[in-house]
Formats: sequence, C-alpha cells, structure tokens
Amino acid sequence: MALKPRQVINAMNEYYEQYPACGGRSIHKFGEEASNAYIEAREKFAKFLNAADESECIWTRNATESLNIVATSVKLPKDSKIVTTSLEHHSGSLPFIERARRDGLGIEIVKARSDGTFDIEDWKRTIDHDTSLVSIVHSSNVTGTITPMKEIAEIAHDHGALVMSDDAQYAPHHPLDVQDLNVDFSAISVHKMCGPTGMGVLYGKLEHLKSMNMFFYGGDTVSDVRFENGKILPEYLPPPEKFEAGLQNYAGAIGAGAAAEYLLTIGMHEIEKYERSLLEMVLERFRDMEHVHILGTDDINIKTGLVTFTVDTISSAHDVATFLNDEYNVMVRSGWHCVGPFHYQMGIDPKRGTARASFYLYNNRFDVDTFLSGMETLIEASK
Amino acid sequence: MSDLPKNAQCVLKILESTDSLTTKEILEIAMTDKFAKICIDCAGGDTFVAAADQLVEMGLITKKFGKGGYRWQLVKD
Repeated sequence: MALKPRQVINAMNEYYEQYPACGGRSIHKFGEEASNAYIEAREKFAKFLNAADESECIWTRNATESLNIVATSVKLPKDSKIVTTSLEHHSGSLPFIERARRDGLGIEIVKARSDGTFDIEDWKRTIDHDTSLVSIVHSSNVTGTITPMKEIAEIAHDHGALVMSDDAQYAPHHPLDVQDLNVDFSAISVHKMCGPTGMGVLYGKLEHLKSMNMFFYGGDTVSDVRFENGKILPEYLPPPEKFEAGLQNYAGAIGAGAAAEYLLTIGMHEIEKYERSLLEMVLERFRDMEHVHILGTDDINIKTGLVTFTVDTISSAHDVATFLNDEYNVMVRSGWHCVGPFHYQMGIDPKRGTARASFYLYNNRFDVDTFLSGMETLIEASK
Repeated sequence: MSDLPKNAQCVLKILESTDSLTTKEILEIAMTDKFAKICIDCAGGDTFVAAADQLVEMGLITKKFGKGGYRWQLVKD
C-alpha cells in the first residue's frame, strides 16, 4: 500500500464535490463531466502502460480481479497446458490452477531459484507447443526480483502461447511498456502506485479482449437488448465496456488516472533510480548484520525497491514488524505475503514468515537510517 | 469475550491455559484442530498478530520483548 499524493486526493474530492454522477449514462451536466473525467482517466492510464489503444485498459477492483478475468474468460484449447511459477502471488497462481482444474487442462510450474531469479533454460524446456498460456510475476512481491519478461514472452509466442504478466509490483516502480514487452495481458494494482484502494487495471491486447467471454453481464455492457418473440436478445459492446458491467467506481478510476499522471510527471526511470539508491543503502548495511538473511537476490539491477529478510535471533517475522512499529514507527510487512509456495520451497515455515521493507519515491535516506537503526536495536535486544 | 473478533478470541483462549507464549508458539497452536475453528488468518499470521496487539491495547494481555522475540501473557485479575 502506497501513500497517496495530494493530486490523487484532490482529483477524487473534485469528483465527489463538483460532479458526483454516473459516467456514460446521464445527460445532465454532472453526468457529462463525470463521463469526460472517466474517459480522460483511461487515456492517462493507457499512456502510463504505453498501450496501443485506451480500449485495452479495463478498470477492475484490483490485480486479483484482472488475473481472474483472464483465467476464467480467455479461450484456451482443450488438452493444452498452462505454465506458471513457484514465485507467484496466490492471486497469480490460484486462478490459473482452478481454470486448469475446471477444464481439465495441464498445469506446469517453473521453479524459481533460491535467489528468486529464473533459469531461462527452464522456460525453454517447459514451454512447448502444448502450452496455451504462461502466467508470470514480473516483479516478485517477496524477493523483488524482476523477471526477464520480454525474453519469456518471446519464447511463449514462438510456441503460440499467450502471456499474462502480473505487474502489480512492477508497475509502480519501473517504466512499463506493454507494447515493447509484447505481453498479451497485464494485471495492475492501483493502490500500490499512489492511487486509491479497490482499483485495478487489466491490460489486454484488443484482439484478445474482443474474443474473450465476458466475466460479468449487465447494465452498461450492451448496445441493445431487444425483446422479440418472447426472447430477450442482447447485443454486447466491444472492450472496454463489455468488461465493465454495472455502476463503476468513477472516483477510483479518476484517482487512478491522477496517480498514473503523477508518476509519469516525476518519471518512472527517475523513480526506479531513486528507489535503487535507497535499496543499495539497506543491502550494504544488511551485509554487515550477521543475523539478517535476505530472501532473494541482492543485485539491485534486477530488483524492485524492497527487501525481504529473516532475523535468526527472532522466532517470528511478526516480532520484527511489531518491534519496528512499536519502537521506531517503521511499518514493514510480515508473514508469507500471499506467496506460500516460495516460502515452502525455501523451507521457511509460514508461521515464522519473513519481514519485508519496501521503499517508494516519498521515502528518504533518513527513513532508511531509522529502519536500519531499528534493526540493530532489535538484534541486540533479541540475542 | 464473544464481542471480540474471532482472531482475538482465539488468542485469549490459547493464552488461558498457559503461562506465556512466543508469537510462533501461539500461531502453531492456533493452527491445531482445536483452535482452527475459532480463528481465521492464522496461516499468514499478520492479521492474527494484529489482533493480539489490540488485546494488549485493551489491557487483556501483555507482551514483552526479550531473547528470541516477544512473549505474550494473559493479564490475570
């Protein structure tokens, strides 16, 4: 969860205070303003991802919903297989595991190495002509490692498979260009990128979105619903409307657009570079702390601005989070981070868990120093 | 006690029959058959520990940091 800049809060307040109406359905002034702001927000987000067309961006509730839409609705050949990894967030693996179970498809798991990276040879071995879809986390929310997405997408496409990129952790911290990566789908979580909670985005290439079944049916998804010979006959709209049934979270979408614009104004390359400078400080000091063990690579060039770790003088990562919160006002996450399989793979009991410190554009060197001082005190006090 | 959230009820029940426990010990007990029906979220553990922390604020349990981490204990009248 990222903090929210004034620009995002103002944009949402403006909607609620000045034109609180439904977009796309009311002809009054408020309705027109809401519709315009809603359309503009989608354009801003499409620019953020470098989507070829704004219709390729679907508003969802979160990245989990984006992943579920694809897992449930994309057309996959009978007897084909889905490939995913041991490093996925539960939201990245479970929808596809359930899809495979539903349709009797095969499922194969590419195992991450202990540092959270992948051996590209494993991908070459696993993706074959039976593979219909590959679901991969672009940047792990546990190890922070960045997947060579472009390379994997190329292997997948060479075998006729679609690529679903989980960009929940990647999009807020790095420049994301879905056209350059040539992924077929991307799932984004807006609350991690300075935007409102309960908002996500599904990017999909237009050709796929057009051919996919709808996830929800209802109002605002249709061009016409006729009643003929006792039958109700719907005609559905193209993307994005066909995926956005019912009243939408207009304030959320407007906030998401404002967040995308805010980050682009600062510059994603700048944000990436800045976060890595903070991360470098942490990793350097962590290397000197004998009781701290980093989970994942310490190569900042292939890492998002986060570090996950265990402390061997403490029996539970929750104690690390509690201590830093109580004594230093530093908020870190503890537990299994919804990535059970990788914790089990690494032999880390989920009850012990891991602690994760994340850095973003609003953190500074003083914050990092405070965190590190807290860690030193914690280790001394727990010996 | 029934007004408390499920996770908090579970923490209290676990601590009722013991002197003091570490965070890991509480989570291990919470996942046993006896307690699995009372609590939720004990697999990840973070919301479970947050519930324990709320009980500290309510004065129902205490926590003390020392060797190995925190120990949690019921406040007895």
